[in-house]
Amino acid sequence: MALNVKVGLIGLLDMLKFANLGKKREKIIAKAPAEEITADYPVNNFAKTLHPDFQTLVVDKIIDRPAACAKTFVFRRADGKPAPYFRAGQYVSLKFPIGKSFVSRPYSISSSPKEALEGTIAVTVKRNPSGFAADWLLDHLKEGDRLFGSEGLGSFYYEKYRDAPHVVALAGGSGITPFYSMACAIRDGIEDFRLTILFGNRTADSILFRDEFDAIAAATDKVKVVHVLSDEEREGYEHGFLTAELIRKYAGDEPYSVFVSGPGPMFRFVNGELPKLGLEKKYIRKENPAVTKSVWEEPGYPADRKDKVFRLTVRQGPNETVCDCSANEPILVAIERAGIRAPSRCRSGECGWCRSRVVSGEVFIPAETDGRRWADKRCGEIHPCASFALSDLTIVVPGEYIK
Amino acid sequence: MAEKYDVVVVGAGNAGLSAAVSCAAQGKKTLLIEKHNLPGGVASSFKRGRFEFDPSVHEICDYGADNDKGHVRLIMEKNGVKIDWITVPDCYRASSAYSDGTPMDVTIPCGREAYIAAVESYVPGSRESLEKFFDLIEEIRAAKVYMFDGTPNDSKYMQKHFPNTLRTCGYDALTVMKALKMPQKAIDIVGVYWPYLGVPLDEVNFFHFGNMIDMYVTRRAVIPHHTSHEISMTFMNRFYELGGEAWFNCRAEEFLFDGDRVCGVRTNLGDVACKQVLASINPNIIYANMMPKHLVPEREKKLAAARRGKFSTKFCMIYFALNKTCEELGLTDYCVFFAGSADSRREYNNIKSIDNDYNILISYNTLIPDFSPEGTCVISFTKLFSSAEDWGKIAPEDYYRVKDRMIAKCIDDLQKKLGIDITPYIEEVEVATPMTFARYLGTPDGTPYGFEVSEWDGVLARMMDIEADFNVKGLRHIGAGSFFGDGYSSTWINGDMTAGLACAELDKGGEQ
Repeated sequence: MALNVKVGLIGLLDMLKFANLGKKREKIIAKAPAEEITADYPVNNFAKTLHPDFQTLVVDKIIDRPAACAKTFVFRRADGKPAPYFRAGQYVSLKFPIGKSFVSRPYSISSSPKEALEGTIAVTVKRNPSGFAADWLLDHLKEGDRLFGSEGLGSFYYEKYRDAPHVVALAGGSGITPFYSMACAIRDGIEDFRLTILFGNRTADSILFRDEFDAIAAATDKVKVVHVLSDEEREGYEHGFLTAELIRKYAGDEPYSVFVSGPGPMFRFVNGELPKLGLEKKYIRKENPAVTKSVWEEPGYPADRKDKVFRLTVRQGPNETVCDCSANEPILVAIERAGIRAPSRCRSGECGWCRSRVVSGEVFIPAETDGRRWADKRCGEIHPCASFALSDLTIVVPGEYIK
Repeated sequence: MAEKYDVVVVGAGNAGLSAAVSCAAQGKKTLLIEKHNLPGGVASSFKRGRFEFDPSVHEICDYGADNDKGHVRLIMEKNGVKIDWITVPDCYRASSAYSDGTPMDVTIPCGREAYIAAVESYVPGSRESLEKFFDLIEEIRAAKVYMFDGTPNDSKYMQKHFPNTLRTCGYDALTVMKALKMPQKAIDIVGVYWPYLGVPLDEVNFFHFGNMIDMYVTRRAVIPHHTSHEISMTFMNRFYELGGEAWFNCRAEEFLFDGDRVCGVRTNLGDVACKQVLASINPNIIYANMMPKHLVPEREKKLAAARRGKFSTKFCMIYFALNKTCEELGLTDYCVFFAGSADSRREYNNIKSIDNDYNILISYNTLIPDFSPEGTCVISFTKLFSSAEDWGKIAPEDYYRVKDRMIAKCIDDLQKKLGIDITPYIEEVEVATPMTFARYLGTPDGTPYGFEVSEWDGVLARMMDIEADFNVKGLRHIGAGSFFGDGYSSTWINGDMTAGLACAELDKGGEQ
């Protein structure tokens, strides 16, 4: 039986209805008023407030912490708007020129999200013997100076549906900053979890935020700080390193998550200790570890490339720049030295903001900090912050919105 | 503006990628610009810990089998885009309620015969109407090929060969299914896919709806092995092979004109001169912010006014990585629809609210065992919104709490509807709200879709009216905001089709 579907009583009218679909549309359009088109959407405005292309930040206040060889820089937005709200534990990527270079550095935000609503965010920078940018900030940045900053970034924050209700934080030196922000957020009623910080320092007098932590611990019983001194034995302090035994001692019997933030040597030590705790992977969260400073020691690195200097051709939109690129440093460093304004954020291979395409040449990418997507690994895309040149290279970098 | 391109494609989402590859394959000097640092738009991926997530894909339709190639496959083959697809065996499981309020829990396979048999088993007496329904859809498929092959349509020929199409496709899907005497419960089951078109069954044109059923059911859906980023990168590589150039983190700020003709694009990386622009930007945004007011055509102002800013579905996606396998958890279906009701009009009204109970669960590892590391699985939930009003009212300090509310809702849905508790196993969780989509896509209210395919503005009506929608010389709209509707397949097709129009104009010397 041949199909014979009619919707109306007379199929011919149905056909007319079909044939007129386009005409009917034009009739409805023709009848509408020719008003000026506007495009202003609250959801998009919210997205822009939370994730601006960049913000111009002004140094509002500098808190000197000489004992810890550190300074806290409190920033306000140059345009007077509040800083984007963030999650305690996130970092900002600061961008600024040093001489001919245009560099970025990620710093954990060391203030409460509440202060962002009031207009400010802070970072705390510690002097670092091998730290080029940190020392420059400490020596040169004055109140009233301007630099560029991102919104709060990264996923190093507490998430109640993922993490245990008790977090044991392992912090070394300036790695304390994200936990300081979390502690502030707990105090301010923004976050709600128990935070026990095992804070490793060499000596008692170099402890960052010591008084601030005392005040927070007095204000809320959800935050507790245990000072662990490696180079000093003192009454009321733990002595030694952040061992599995110490973690167990303060973790108690309830389920807990371990959050880790600190310098390379501390990471390496803690990485040896954590397996002893027998925790599921989901209960261990680490702030992005830094990219190796001695790539030639990585397994599989072709030894003959160490100390070589290659020719790097960087394409960005219609522009092309040729510069030197040391085999010993991430490609991003060469890009910055050449004064090219290219995107970068986490500088640990993780976030992919600097994602670039290799047109020709060879690179080495340490496995530990290879945060690339599956398809990118196959398609010659690299994260220059965590990739090293093994030959002359031509790469295409993304544009930059900072002007 | 030293270098001049034949075509600048703005936006490297599905439509832009397809359009760019198509232009380059036709030998045009093509520049693809994208405001984000990745291609794909929503067809992308993101990483958290040891997991890689797909931000958006459920199922890709219209690919087809070796002996019955779909439109998407024909385009990809023509343009040399080769992807290793995985075929989705079932349409969906739906845990909902029939229109009469009785509970619905059905699992519906792909393929006409299996589909009809399954619906008949749940709703005895529906077979005859379903056979007719699929016969009609088959005719519509042939009519579609005839109508849109680029040659003029002969109404006598159409009356002879596609009489049922002509008699039904002036109507909405609900009216036609009722005319086929399909039992209401069967309509409820067949209608589960309605949100993929964004408007309820009593509004969406039957041509569009029937075509979707054909693409998902008859031709079966496919998914990529390694997230949508694999698809987008395959397009990109093909584009580079064909000599195309792409600039990322490059935002089109405004269109440059020579008289009343677009002659270039101003970007954060400088001005670019070109003969043709294919713009995957919602047309309202172009006309409001990206060109001189006096050059905005009257007709486009009227079109925008007639549409009254009704953008299609907004999404909130909730992604979980779990440290147990799907098997261990008891997740057996790739795709499960949770809805309060199968009554699409009622649900359309319900999902205006931020706290609605509509949800779609995707369990990737059921089809792709190695989608995540051994011993783990990745699932996602898609919550839909027919209005962004509630989202627009959120204060910054409440934003993360709203995200947590969405996470809690998904955990609860899974517990209540499937009896599965995932709380102890959550290793990673991430939420993409309409704000997240707005951030990466820049579309109105963050919709990955375009304008609602409403009663008068359906895809068929737009197609019949196609050249009427391109009123600025040298500029054509592609993507979800263009004429062909939304979704991966529609936008790939739309990008390719529109690239064809632009290239044809170039070949005729149409840049003057």
